[in-house]
Amino acid sequence: MTYLRPKFRHPELPRNARGYTRQYYEGALSTLCAGCGHDSISGAIIQACFEMAIEPHRLAKLSGIGCSSKTPTYFLGNSHGFNSVHGRMPSVATGANLANRDLIYLGVSGDGDTASIGMGQFVHALRRNLNITYIVMNNGCYGLTKGQDSATADEGSVNKAGIANPFQGIDLAGLAIELGATFVARSFSGDREQLIPMIKAAMAHEGFAFIDVLSPCVTFNNNPGSTKSYDFVRQHIEATAAVDYIPEKSEITTEYEEGTSKVIRLHDDSLVQLHKLALGWDPSDRGLAFARLHESRARGEILTGIIYLEPQTRDLHNMLNTVAQPLNTLREEDLCPGIAALEQINEENR
Amino acid sequence: MKPTNINDPEYFHKVVDCQYACPAHTPVPEYIRLIAAERYTEAYMVNWESNVFPGVLGRTCDRPCEPACRRGRVEEKPVAICRLKRVAADNKGEVRHLMPQVPFPSNGKKIALIGGGPASLTVARDLAPLGYEIHLYDDQRKGGGMMRSQIPAFRLPESVLDEEVNYILDLGIHTHFNRYVQSMGEVLAQDYDAIFVGTGAPRGGDLPKLPGRQEGAANIHIGIEWLASVAFEHTSKIGKKVIVLGGGNTAMDCCRTSMRLGGESVTVVVRSPFSDMKASPWEIEDAQREGIVIRNCMPPKEFVVEGGRLKGILFEHVEAVYDENGRRSLVPTGEPDEFIEADDVLVAIGQENAFPWIERDLGIEFGKWEMPVVDPVTFQSTNPRVFFGGDAAFGPKNVITAVAHGHQAAISIDQYCHKKDLHERPAPAVNLFHQKMGIHEWMYDSYVVEDPRYKVPHADNTVALKDRRFEVELGFAPETGFMEAQRCLNCDVQTVFTESLCIECDACVDICPTSCITFTHNGEENDLRTRLNAPANLLSQDLYVSHQLPTHRVMIKDENVCLHCGLCAERCPTAAWDMKKYLYQVTKTCKVWDAAGSVLETV
Amino acid sequence: MGIPVTPKNIFPSNIQGLPTWYEVRVSENGYLGRRAGIDMVVSVNPQSLAGDVKSVRPGGYFLYDSSRPLDKNLHRDDIHFIGIPMIRMCQQHFESPRTHQLLKNMIYVGALTALLNIDIEVVKELVALQFKKKEKLIPPNYQALDLGIQYIHDHYEYPLHIRLERRDKNGDSILMNGNTACALGAIYAGATVAAWYPITPSTSVVDAFDKYARRLRTDPATGKKKYAIVQSEDELAAIGVVIGASWNGARAFTATSGPGVSLMNEFLGLAYFAEIPAVLIDVQRGGPSTGMPTRTQQSDILLAAYASHGDTKHPLLFPSTPKDCFDMTADAFDLAERLQTPVLVMTDLDLGMNDHMSPPFHWDESRRYDRGKVLSAEDLDKAKEWGRYRDVDGDGIPYRTIPGTHPTKGSFFTRGSSKDEYARYTEDADAYRRNMDRLLKKWDTAREIVPAPELFQEHDRSKEGIIFFGTSAYSALEATEQLEAVGVQTDAMRLKAFPFNDTVRDFIERHERIYVIEQNRDAQMRSLLMIELGIDPKKLIPVLNYDGFPITAATIVQQILKYHPALQPTGGNGVPV
Repeated sequence: MTYLRPKFRHPELPRNARGYTRQYYEGALSTLCAGCGHDSISGAIIQACFEMAIEPHRLAKLSGIGCSSKTPTYFLGNSHGFNSVHGRMPSVATGANLANRDLIYLGVSGDGDTASIGMGQFVHALRRNLNITYIVMNNGCYGLTKGQDSATADEGSVNKAGIANPFQGIDLAGLAIELGATFVARSFSGDREQLIPMIKAAMAHEGFAFIDVLSPCVTFNNNPGSTKSYDFVRQHIEATAAVDYIPEKSEITTEYEEGTSKVIRLHDDSLVQLHKLALGWDPSDRGLAFARLHESRARGEILTGIIYLEPQTRDLHNMLNTVAQPLNTLREEDLCPGIAALEQINEENR
Repeated sequence: MKPTNINDPEYFHKVVDCQYACPAHTPVPEYIRLIAAERYTEAYMVNWESNVFPGVLGRTCDRPCEPACRRGRVEEKPVAICRLKRVAADNKGEVRHLMPQVPFPSNGKKIALIGGGPASLTVARDLAPLGYEIHLYDDQRKGGGMMRSQIPAFRLPESVLDEEVNYILDLGIHTHFNRYVQSMGEVLAQDYDAIFVGTGAPRGGDLPKLPGRQEGAANIHIGIEWLASVAFEHTSKIGKKVIVLGGGNTAMDCCRTSMRLGGESVTVVVRSPFSDMKASPWEIEDAQREGIVIRNCMPPKEFVVEGGRLKGILFEHVEAVYDENGRRSLVPTGEPDEFIEADDVLVAIGQENAFPWIERDLGIEFGKWEMPVVDPVTFQSTNPRVFFGGDAAFGPKNVITAVAHGHQAAISIDQYCHKKDLHERPAPAVNLFHQKMGIHEWMYDSYVVEDPRYKVPHADNTVALKDRRFEVELGFAPETGFMEAQRCLNCDVQTVFTESLCIECDACVDICPTSCITFTHNGEENDLRTRLNAPANLLSQDLYVSHQLPTHRVMIKDENVCLHCGLCAERCPTAAWDMKKYLYQVTKTCKVWDAAGSVLETV
Repeated sequence: MGIPVTPKNIFPSNIQGLPTWYEVRVSENGYLGRRAGIDMVVSVNPQSLAGDVKSVRPGGYFLYDSSRPLDKNLHRDDIHFIGIPMIRMCQQHFESPRTHQLLKNMIYVGALTALLNIDIEVVKELVALQFKKKEKLIPPNYQALDLGIQYIHDHYEYPLHIRLERRDKNGDSILMNGNTACALGAIYAGATVAAWYPITPSTSVVDAFDKYARRLRTDPATGKKKYAIVQSEDELAAIGVVIGASWNGARAFTATSGPGVSLMNEFLGLAYFAEIPAVLIDVQRGGPSTGMPTRTQQSDILLAAYASHGDTKHPLLFPSTPKDCFDMTADAFDLAERLQTPVLVMTDLDLGMNDHMSPPFHWDESRRYDRGKVLSAEDLDKAKEWGRYRDVDGDGIPYRTIPGTHPTKGSFFTRGSSKDEYARYTEDADAYRRNMDRLLKKWDTAREIVPAPELFQEHDRSKEGIIFFGTSAYSALEATEQLEAVGVQTDAMRLKAFPFNDTVRDFIERHERIYVIEQNRDAQMRSLLMIELGIDPKKLIPVLNYDGFPITAATIVQQILKYHPALQPTGGNGVPV
């Protein structure tokens, strides 16, 4: 039998504010390995976009190369997508964003695509505070080429061949905080309850919103000794907080005990409510966030949640002082200075 | 919720909605797959084992399976299960050699079957191969009972009925046709080890008190009697203007038969609203297609007779009013009464049981409505030697129910004759067959086609209405039959979950087209049903609940609109999900066809 | 004074300290190509004194700062030495030591006005213009000019036998470098996104774009910009930004040089295969590797034509003048969007960084941008069966959609992997081949719409033809005149674009021998002609210069005359006026 997904859906699927069911946000059938964490993240993206009632044509999804970068085929089939070249998604996304600041940009990358070949582009997109949700599906290995360690593989993590990685792993979340990212989060593909509101908050954030999602590779990195296996991650996960994303104009419905939750207002007046904050923990303090990340790492734990969030930021367009109208909608009359101006320039150069 | 016990044979049986709904529990998906594979003979035999009359039922069944069909919940219309059965019957090859072969060594037991309808014939088929000497009594000249007397030939050709009745009679049954049994006492006096009563519900309803009934009697006929009289060729004509009173299937048969016997203006008048009509929707549709007018909310007030001759009926106009309890009453609307002309009137307002021939002193107890007291499981009456089945047992139902009764009665009779406890019923035979062939390959056609239900072609009215014997439905051509068969969702291929293998990667949740699967914390059913990925409002459909998983969650699957596409199992990295074909067979007295064996052979 | 000139700034790759030269060619006939050999040198850098003396042609002049005596070993009998004690004069007349260095230059300018008979009023006008915003600097500069004139008046016979005379031959010509012209072309073509990584000699393209965009593209009401410039982290990112922006419906470009093009190869392949417009201005410099980054060459031809792995080829445009730079950059946007593919404008360091005489720029007010086959929401509603890569019109060009256009129609997944007509991923052999064949069909369409070559004669006059392109045009045309003077008649054709259309093929086929003039070692354009048109290599004679200096007419004449052994050059390398 060919591998096809039936078109029938649950006849009573709920509809979102735009009248779409979750089905409208689905993509093609995944061709990743069965059980891949990436598929789970795709599922979370679909759910987040459905819940946010995003109009699919107002979102552009971009990726590089790798298992993770294949996933945009598998979600948001009604959105334009761009599967670019290895490690270069940030630049394509930068161009796309410059052309039309009004769309939502969702970049999907992997640990190889971001932490190795694309490290340069990643840090520079971050430095420019490009308005994008940038998700790294982080499995610590190169799945497409059969499981070589990647730059995020933890030191000592044992790969499927039984070899322990001798190199330090790059902590992308730590790096992002250090480089001045304005939204830094980490989650686990197997924790959808945390991941979905996190993606929603990231999409609402105006600026570079980075989510590092641990996503086990069932085929090459789910073996005993791997620090990115389902079992290991589940046993070592340490959540900073439960995340609630509350869209603009809706009420906070979940009440927490005094001092155990924090509400952050985003630029569009939507809210991010964080619950179960560890003692003395403040996601708006870059220094604390950085220190806390280090401590967890030293303890061998994986810190998840929104680790750092600076809600009011200036994105690339603000820094470049571009017009409010998307550049790709400007026409000849807006752009071409005309013959008189040209005659003037001629005259200046005679 | 407690974890689902999938070892209970009824759990997965219930998932196979069609089979579960079928009184005889015919393994529907199994034979539909055989039809798709053009293995019509095997498809026929799977049916024959279960429902004994595939050719008859493929044309006339009340189809309780179709409203149950999952496809009807996923899209608009269920699979045309009934007419697919006919495809098997129409296209089968030689089947006699596959049936039990006479002679059967005698077991020394002797049985009497009173009435030659589907219930009795089923008992005969189930017991004959065991060596019983079986005597069948009927007042008609051939076997078949109401299948012959009440179902018009344009719906069920006589040849089809004869063929399937004869498969049974040829098992060495001693037939006593044209013989009306007048006294149960006389039968009991004979040396029968057991007696089975399958005499149906022979008395048609009448309106004895309606003014004009007596005066117009010459042109007022009882529907089932009139149909029998047509079937046995005592009647071949009817007036040009005909009124049929009643809204059930008999009424539909009456009006359609009238159209073929000279009726030009045939009107069916129902006292209640259309929505309360008992006739199957397709029967109503077929009648209307033939130009029959159906009026509703019009109870008859009077047969109008002038000069000793029926002129028509005066009707009142009413509307249905429902009280708080939903009870209906028909309230006159105040509109003027309406007179409809008629040369003949057919009264088809229900059937009743009647046992004038059973003496009341034989230990056979009668209860409410003069119905015998019958054990609903064993079909035994209060006289242990006497068993009832079909319409005779619990009132008018349909052929497939009669067959189901026959199977159970046969088991009881066999156990009775061998002095076994009748309440120890044999367990159903169940098998789970692995279906996996490769990563994306299953032994069944897992892909779900999106085709809407195919329509069965009908003969043109100009031809069909000329001859009451001309079969009006043409049946699916094999090609259409194949396409319709492909619409079957293979609900018997079960999604089987093994907790210990699950790594909770969510792959199944993401892939499931109909959002059936949820991983969440356990709770009470009412609560759980609100927390699933898709609404789970159909309470008759079970939730499949796993044992607790390492993250303290459970897997919940709402069986309701599962497409049995197998994608959960295809995407499961650890084979925690598996697709297994579940064959559930009601155990009969003897194995007349090994469906499981044919399954193994065919897959 | 209306005299055609060609100035060239010749500078080494260094940060500070090494000497640079500014060459000016002045010719009665308006020749604008570089000419080897110098008639007069003004030498102000002690490090290059020796070389400068050697570079003067016999009978020429060597002007130097005689504040210190000239090394006797440098003396030549066959040239005239003109010594002026410039620094000493500065010290005598000006206070600040900082100004001495600067005003020394004005002293020799003054001297030159006298020696060459330049209209001093014109020079003073220019000085006034230069210091328009720092008027107090005008008097000392005038004074320095006068000091130079006075010194010549007191010490030498003047004017010399080489001198300048008013000609009014320049009409409405302008003097501009190609990089600025490219930038203006981009502005006029509606480019809104520029991404780049600094690299000589292309840097000033985006600098000029920034300069003019600030002036011409800032919303006066809000002060906000109708353009965005990203100085990216590398050239890979630069072209990535351009592709992303173009994919999203903006006109975008980058400017770079050979090393940048090398880095952009991967992305150019993506844009070719995914069919995304992009405009790239390649200001070529001396390669390979870092090569001679401040010298000129035309050595990226093959790199650019076939940039990236797999079967790829890209349209190239070859400007020769600043006006070409302006026009062709603007055209490149139309072509890129029409063809949905990267288009490379192949300029070079000589054209890009040096001022060139050029006809003034023109913009037809009725011109509309050709945005190519882009479907609007209305189009999508009307379209029966849209497929991103379907060839509906038979020209190999499919219809594209821009993200955000329509709520339910027109979305597709752009990818660098193989796909079918509906942009669905496939590895089906037929689908892949169909797509590759369609791209080739599109290439044939490109052949017809890129600028046709320019022929310099109405009818063939010779069995020999010369083919040239880009900045070789100046010297090539000069060379044809020189060749004609010695009896070698040639027909000339200037290539303006790749792919080559039928005019190119016909021209080659009509001639027995073709000289292909270019500024690289490997005769890259000749190879391209051979590969793409299947021309017999024997027929195509390479005429090459690859020393990093612009090619000269003399080089061309010399190489062509090798094929005419009976003839000798007259040495008439253009007579100074």
